[in-house]
Amino acid sequence: MSASVIELSQIEKDYPGVKPLDKVDFAVQPGEIHALLGENGAGKSTLIRVMGGVTKPNSGTITYLGKPVSWQSPKAARAAGIHVIHQELALFPELSVAENILVDAQPRGMLGLISNRARHARAAEILAQLGVDIPTHAKIDELPLADQQMVEIAKALVGDVRLLILDEPTAVIAGREVDLLFENMRRLRNEGVGIVYVSHRLEEIFEIADRVTILKDGQLVGTSPVSALTREEMITKMVGRRLSQIYPPRRAAPADGPDVLSVRNLRAGPRVRDVSLNVRVGEIVGVAGMVGSGRTEVAEAIFGTRAVDSGVIEFDGKPFERKLPKGSIGHGLGFLTESRKDDGLFLGLPISANIVAPDLDAITRRGLIDRKQERAVATRQIQDFSVATPSPDVKIGNLSGGNQQKVLFSRWSRIASKLLILDEPTRGVDIGAKVEIYRIVRRLADSGVGVLMISSELPEIVGLSDRVFVMAQGHIVGEIKGDALGEEAIMDLAVRSVEDRKAGMDQHAEPVG
Amino acid sequence: MTPLDTPMQRSQSISIASVFERYGLVIFLVALMVVAAIASPTFLRPANLVNVLTIAAPLGMVVVGQTFVILVRGLDLSVASLMATVAVLATAFKATTNEAIPMIFIAAIALSAVVGLVNGWLVAKRNVSPFLATLAMMIILQGARFAYTGGAPISTLPPGMGFLASGRVLGIPVNLITLAFLATAFGIVLHRSRLGREIFMVGSNPKAAFLNGVAPDRVVILCYVICSVCAGIGGLFLLGYVGTVSNWVGQGYELDSIVAAVMGGVALSGGRGNVFAALLGVAVLVVINNLVLLLGFPIEMQLIIKGIIIIGAAAFYRTRLA
Amino acid sequence: MSAIAMDIRRNRLMLSYLIVAVLLVLLAVAGGFLSDRFLTWRNIGNLLQQLIVLGMVSLGQTFVVLMGGIDLAIGSLVGALTVFLANFLEWRPDLIWLALPLALIAATGVGAINGLLTVVLRVHPLIVTLGMSSIIFGGTLMYRKEPGGSVPRAFADIAYTKVGGIPISAIVLVVIFVLAGLWLQRTRTGRSIYFAGGDREAARLNGLPVDRIVVLAYALSGLCAGIAAIFLTARTGVGDPRIGVALTLQSVTPVVVGGTILAGGRGGVLGTFLGVLLVTMLNSLLNFVNVSSYYQWVIQGLIILIAVGIHSSRRK
Repeated sequence: MSASVIELSQIEKDYPGVKPLDKVDFAVQPGEIHALLGENGAGKSTLIRVMGGVTKPNSGTITYLGKPVSWQSPKAARAAGIHVIHQELALFPELSVAENILVDAQPRGMLGLISNRARHARAAEILAQLGVDIPTHAKIDELPLADQQMVEIAKALVGDVRLLILDEPTAVIAGREVDLLFENMRRLRNEGVGIVYVSHRLEEIFEIADRVTILKDGQLVGTSPVSALTREEMITKMVGRRLSQIYPPRRAAPADGPDVLSVRNLRAGPRVRDVSLNVRVGEIVGVAGMVGSGRTEVAEAIFGTRAVDSGVIEFDGKPFERKLPKGSIGHGLGFLTESRKDDGLFLGLPISANIVAPDLDAITRRGLIDRKQERAVATRQIQDFSVATPSPDVKIGNLSGGNQQKVLFSRWSRIASKLLILDEPTRGVDIGAKVEIYRIVRRLADSGVGVLMISSELPEIVGLSDRVFVMAQGHIVGEIKGDALGEEAIMDLAVRSVEDRKAGMDQHAEPVG
Repeated sequence: MTPLDTPMQRSQSISIASVFERYGLVIFLVALMVVAAIASPTFLRPANLVNVLTIAAPLGMVVVGQTFVILVRGLDLSVASLMATVAVLATAFKATTNEAIPMIFIAAIALSAVVGLVNGWLVAKRNVSPFLATLAMMIILQGARFAYTGGAPISTLPPGMGFLASGRVLGIPVNLITLAFLATAFGIVLHRSRLGREIFMVGSNPKAAFLNGVAPDRVVILCYVICSVCAGIGGLFLLGYVGTVSNWVGQGYELDSIVAAVMGGVALSGGRGNVFAALLGVAVLVVINNLVLLLGFPIEMQLIIKGIIIIGAAAFYRTRLA
Repeated sequence: MSAIAMDIRRNRLMLSYLIVAVLLVLLAVAGGFLSDRFLTWRNIGNLLQQLIVLGMVSLGQTFVVLMGGIDLAIGSLVGALTVFLANFLEWRPDLIWLALPLALIAATGVGAINGLLTVVLRVHPLIVTLGMSSIIFGGTLMYRKEPGGSVPRAFADIAYTKVGGIPISAIVLVVIFVLAGLWLQRTRTGRSIYFAGGDREAARLNGLPVDRIVVLAYALSGLCAGIAAIFLTARTGVGDPRIGVALTLQSVTPVVVGGTILAGGRGGVLGTFLGVLLVTMLNSLLNFVNVSSYYQWVIQGLIILIAVGIHSSRRK
């Protein structure tokens, strides 16, 4: 079809050891909202990066507005009218809202100099068009995350956009903001803009998208009108197997053992305002909520990397007062953090060093590292967690995301004899590794470890947890268990309470963060 | 889905790369020495070789320390200034007999440890960039030293200090023995001990190290202390070699020690490096310098070559390990 | 959080400037008390005359640091250029119209090469500019080991001429700083220096030509070093390969004192200007009260640490 805004044909992208895109075809018509679906690691982000000129494909052709193109940089793609809203915000925290919105299109006045007044006027105009009220003079790092996301979205309305690509823009916004976003997307669609929309929330796809393309493991599964698919069909295509095969069976009877962790009225910084929850021995407890709702901060407070303002944390029935990870580790507590690369892995070090990291005591003899012992421990863990590697001496940076994550599991399960906290445990791993990880988590719980699992992926929360706490804006807003446990119930709680609080906050505005 | 679809091919290409990475510097050094031997018959004469090694020894001591700091994503620009300050300190005893030498060593090491402690504290606890912290320390030491000497230092030293540079035990130069001892001791600390493991963890990912129960601040401070102590000892040996005290003993060693470490594959981004490879970097550096002289080129050419190799070496490791 | 606290947070840079400005006034007052010759026109004239060299190299360093880099080749470059100028002008004093542009072009070119090397080789700017500094210094020494050369009278005049009691060099410096400030604040290219320094990856995703910005910043630093070298040669009348040795590190002090952070993306030329004034006035005052230059080093080191302490502790 030559009428497409953009048409990708047989796109391939290779990295050593992984192939994020394997002969993918993809086309967007003018005036359509085209959803792009797939599990984490299916290749959506890579496809977006290819369209936006961030990544060059190894082979395949891109046709944009009828002409073959080969972007050399994001700049070229942007100049041609492609705007990408990336998952990670591309904002400059030290600079003003206005300057961020008009980053490469600052209005010029006298003598070709940027006019400050025009800058703020234009930015305010764009924000008004979007329908949000954000002060244009504010610095980005003074804004709550949701407002930052709206600023990122506002950038799309600046220039003459022919193709708009949004990579999970609703991860940190809710309610009214999502409505505003959708309104603007529809308006742009009616103006003939082609829109690519990525989201994990299927209900959003049904609400806004015209067609959907599904990717799996870097390959195209298919493209079809949204109305031609049911929710179940979408999931099955995305995952490649039925849901019942993904999650291990839940425990037969609800856990009724003693609490391994009990948190009461915890306050810790601006994002943790009132949190009470508990985890029993051998139980998997999910924590759901929007990004930025304070979930990670709760985990940090429990593990000892965030100062507690008030409240009680009881561990194993005793008040738990440790201030550092070292103490927590000594008590049999493990914390698998959200960002593998930022605070999990030692990328330049071998697998073995990564496995033994929190427990150097076990391999130290008279101050020296017992290499034989280290190797033995590492080899055993690699086998236990079926990490695909020829040797424990391989640098962990050379492993795939799924295998890296398994190494981290093998690290923490070794020392977490009582409680393991997981923050987004399957981010960026393929479905095969996911299934293995779910089994590992269940196995750990069955062996008597309490598991506290934070996740943005509702299917995972629902499929794996015995009980779920829902968080919003620093508060636990509900607990769901048994038959009530479902994605809708969780979303409902999370979103409704956000809106309630927003309504309440409008009366006495109080900056967050 | 495993990343090891063709294990044979991958492991082969990895091994060739890693051989080159591991032994590239040795090959380079041997090639340099062959060129030097061909270019000038003087090069292989024992007198010349001993001379080269004598020059190399104090620099080697500094490099051992610099490696520790670079491994934790740091940099120490104050080493040269500290060397000169230690040299001035050695004269402060106005000692003419060898009994004072132990005192001189103790005082030098104590001063160095304090300097390292301050550097490390600034970097780890006050979040000052290593560049600025050690730069400030460099200037402060320089000022203090000049103020003390009034710009004209005396050279009253125990006669035994010269032994540090030219003395031999069983025919082996004493400064080389000391370097070998220092390198081995700190090499074991770095590559075999628990502290060493913690240093690599902190250098590779400070946040992850903290979450795994390591105290990164303490490790970083310790690295700066080790660096300063090595530099201080190096300063005494250099003083022995130079014989007279000037306010500029060791000038240029901050740059040279970084050049040698980078040439030896110690990554400025932290968490990657090896003390012994860094010492190979020292050997390459001094052989090049010697070669320039033997070939009759002006001594300033050393500076040009040094500049080229530091950029080249950094680029080499960058592409090798990308 | 109160509105005032928000306001201060928003204008933390202004606060940095305010602190430095207050310190300046305090220094001037202290100087007036300590010596009745300190606040005389004559001394102020001298002070202003000294500004240009440190001012220009610090301005160059500001561009690079704002963009997220560092330039350690500045001093060697200035030294090399003074040698070139003094020797060239001794040989052909009549070709001054050729010598000055040549010096500026060469300086800009060296800066651009620094930038290109960091971009192409992706090597840490510290290593690249340190290496470049060594190369330039060695090259200069191979050509001339000792200070030498001479300059025509007319050329020397640009360092000493005053207009209405104010040295021309100071006027030039102020004009350049104003232009630089305007450029950084009010042009798209100037702003992009801040974008590249704030977050290089984000800048790339926003479609900014990051590599070109990096090269531009280093080239500007080179150009500034060229201007500094011209005034320095005019003032001293000789070319001295070693004259720039201390200048590299001195160029960093006013930048840091002025509140520009080494990580890049925050700060500005006004801060650097105030920093230059502060450092120059402090040194002058210390000379007046006969504190030896040795202690001035100690004080300079402490100033760096105090400045970093002040600016970073308020960052949270």
